[in-house]
Amino acid sequence: MKDMILKNARVIDPARGIDSVGDIAISNGVIVETSQVRDAEVIDLTGKIVSPGFIDVHVHLRQPGNTAAETVATGTMAAAAGGFTSIVAMPNTTPAADNAGAIELLKRTALEQGVVRVLACGNMTKGGKGEEMAGIGSLKAAGVVALSDDGKCIQDHALMRHVVEYAKSFDLPILDHCEEKTLAAGGVMHEGKWSVLLGINGISSASEELMVARNIILARQIDWKIHMQHISAAESVELLRRARKAGIKVTGEATPHHITLTDQCIKKFDTNYKMNPPLRSEADRLAVIEGLADGTLTAIATDHAPHTQTAKMVEFDHAPFGIIGLETAFPLCFTELVTKGVLTIPQLIEKFTTGPADILGMKDYSLAPGNAADIAVIDPEAKWTIDKNEFYSKARNTPFDGFEVQGRVIMTVVGGKVVFRR
Amino acid sequence: MNSCKQLFDAAGIEEAISRIAGKIAADFAGDPRGVALVGIQQMGVPLAEKLCEALKSHGMDPEFGKLDITMYRDDFGTRDILPMINETNIGFAVDDKVIILVDDVLSSGRTIRAALDALTDFGRPGLIRLTVMVDRGEPEFPIRADYVGFNVSLPADRKVKVRFDETAEFGCGIFDVQWK
Amino acid sequence: MQWTRKDLLSIYDLSAEEITCILDTAEKFKEVSERRVKKVPALRGMTVVNFFVEPSTRTRVSFELAEQRLSADVVNMQAQASSLLKGETLLDTVKNIEALQVDLVVMRHSAPGAQNFIAKHLNCGVVNAGDGAHEHPTQALLDLFTIREKKGGFKGLNVTILGDILHSRVARSNIWGLLKLGANVTLAGPSTLVPREFEEIGCRVCHNLKDAVKDADVVNLLRIQHERQTVGFFPSTGEYSSWFGIKGATMDLMKKDVLIMHPGPINRDVELASEVADGSNSVILEQVTNGLAVRMAVLFLIAGVQK
Repeated sequence: MKDMILKNARVIDPARGIDSVGDIAISNGVIVETSQVRDAEVIDLTGKIVSPGFIDVHVHLRQPGNTAAETVATGTMAAAAGGFTSIVAMPNTTPAADNAGAIELLKRTALEQGVVRVLACGNMTKGGKGEEMAGIGSLKAAGVVALSDDGKCIQDHALMRHVVEYAKSFDLPILDHCEEKTLAAGGVMHEGKWSVLLGINGISSASEELMVARNIILARQIDWKIHMQHISAAESVELLRRARKAGIKVTGEATPHHITLTDQCIKKFDTNYKMNPPLRSEADRLAVIEGLADGTLTAIATDHAPHTQTAKMVEFDHAPFGIIGLETAFPLCFTELVTKGVLTIPQLIEKFTTGPADILGMKDYSLAPGNAADIAVIDPEAKWTIDKNEFYSKARNTPFDGFEVQGRVIMTVVGGKVVFRR
Repeated sequence: MNSCKQLFDAAGIEEAISRIAGKIAADFAGDPRGVALVGIQQMGVPLAEKLCEALKSHGMDPEFGKLDITMYRDDFGTRDILPMINETNIGFAVDDKVIILVDDVLSSGRTIRAALDALTDFGRPGLIRLTVMVDRGEPEFPIRADYVGFNVSLPADRKVKVRFDETAEFGCGIFDVQWK
Repeated sequence: MQWTRKDLLSIYDLSAEEITCILDTAEKFKEVSERRVKKVPALRGMTVVNFFVEPSTRTRVSFELAEQRLSADVVNMQAQASSLLKGETLLDTVKNIEALQVDLVVMRHSAPGAQNFIAKHLNCGVVNAGDGAHEHPTQALLDLFTIREKKGGFKGLNVTILGDILHSRVARSNIWGLLKLGANVTLAGPSTLVPREFEEIGCRVCHNLKDAVKDADVVNLLRIQHERQTVGFFPSTGEYSSWFGIKGATMDLMKKDVLIMHPGPINRDVELASEVADGSNSVILEQVTNGLAVRMAVLFLIAGVQK
């Protein structure tokens, strides 16, 4: 691998508080001082931004089990195109990643076919069924970075308590999909004005709030890290805000779709607006944005959930939940948050880098010399139109096709290797 | 509308109505089966009303009905404009009756074909005759009028309009209208 | 006004002018069913498929008669008879129906928006005969037709819809239609079944029977389904009946000329006492008669714009 110098870029490195024009040098896959490179390829990045590679703590790669929708190869390529250099693969594959063998298979597949780093996440319970604790110790030994039953939520509070206690002893954070089942039963969209007007079964915000509250209580009692995935309801943000002020080890993520869309979008019954948690009201959307602005929500995660066209081309009730997001996350958030003045560019980059790194307990996630050269290069001025047919993802289930956005990832480097360049 | 030429005036229409009424009375006054005038929507209706009045001076008191043939058209779905449906009101038994169908203009004959279908859905008339104010003389169907106000021969791209109302767009009369 | 829609999916989509156009057209069709030959050749040569992916008797019979009285060729397809159970998608099924050169599909489905979804992918016309709790446009149109016939118009008219609003497609279609035509709409019933969110679009929401009906010119009752009780929306049909059922005594609270309507089937003596259902204020059977004329009008208008 040839040495490389990224020249004249605006270097934004939140972990070290750096935001200045400069050069980043790479040698042998590692960031080095510029004086240490020899015979380097020089790339002039005047006007562009160099950031640590993005981390997505919430991705569904669908392999094994539903490779018609996505694979490790296509999903990680989509990640690269979105500026992500590390992604956490959710364990709700078929079969579920609830055992060491499944984790080893994923890691091997990722090494052979993956474009970016795939961080494994194991199930909290066997099969993600919420009934019996999974082999958390052996999952740890196999290399998982976190535990989650994403897509589902452990309803049995005693079991959840034991999982959190046990995970603590293995130093594994919990990533929880907060959903109380009975208040969501049969629901396919947010319960509110639009579900009432459309006659569609709703998922109450209370369903999420209850489990966020439950998790806050357990995190306080056990003094361990519980991360709340895809926070969608205003009151969930408020619960989290108060808990974090009280020093409880809870974190939360926002998705690009919950900050850009609302339940009103569903009035045309397009299944690309169906996901769980659902698109909520305008007040909820604004509250999630506020949560990002004031630091209550420290990460943006995509919940990249690929589905085949066939699976989504059905009645709204019968369509699977989820949309893809890796290739649209950054521009959507840049457009919604930066161009509208909610966050500065460095603050936005935190949500994509140090925020998720902290959730996973990764130390010193920065562009400091000696660190792996995982880098995203951004053109902050690029104005473009999202075209789903240009996606690297195998799936096309996005509501954002045709959206006019600003900000674009133009290059992604993983371990010193340019894996994507526009 | 490109041009509009009056062919006959209100007095001409009056004269024609009175002439037709005389002929109908000659044929059917005192007919034991009973006589009914059925105007075809839209311009056949006012003509039928006027004929009813005129027949009274001949000692007749015919029944009166309105017939809309939109649901019986043979060009449904092939036209760009969906026709408006007007009222149908046949408030008497048509069985065995002498029915005088009344329309303003006999052109292709298709309207009359539809009207015959519509009318026979109400029962089995004893006899049906056709009255028109204007006969253009070139029907596409084997249909002929029995009582005619005026025979008018004009190229096919021209429309003949009959208006009985002074307040209509170009007043009362019979007009040769050319659309471009 | 010129009708241009190839599908009838919801009342929400329609303008007041379009609703009025359907009602005016229906007035003309009402007379057809009073003829000796109750049939006109308007849709001769056209094929209509009644595709019911949810059981229905009265709506299907009403549509079928309307189609036959317009001289269309009619095929009925039930969900259990169709290939849906063999794992074919809904879209494939309707595409197959369309491939048989069908002109119109009248469809009922349990999923809200199913008709909106298929209409987007079909060239032939689609008429919604009820989609989940979303809409039932022809039912609302026949209700509106009946109200207009009896009350002359809608401006300032007080219409109360009483019962399980939450799960009712009939209620939703009626609400949109009544609001568009200028009526005042009150929604009433237990708070579990009458969501407050309807206030946001201009309805009055009310949980007290007396308040709901005392100024009403029209009371439209909805069927109370026993299965809602089992999932805890109300304790028993008996309790529902005692608080929200219309009985002979309730009539004393109401205007003398109030119209009592019900889309059927009636749960006699649950939401509506027999003495009221069969009484002089009830127009329930006239609604059924009008349903035929309204459906003929809808099919006629929709068929007229098919290419």
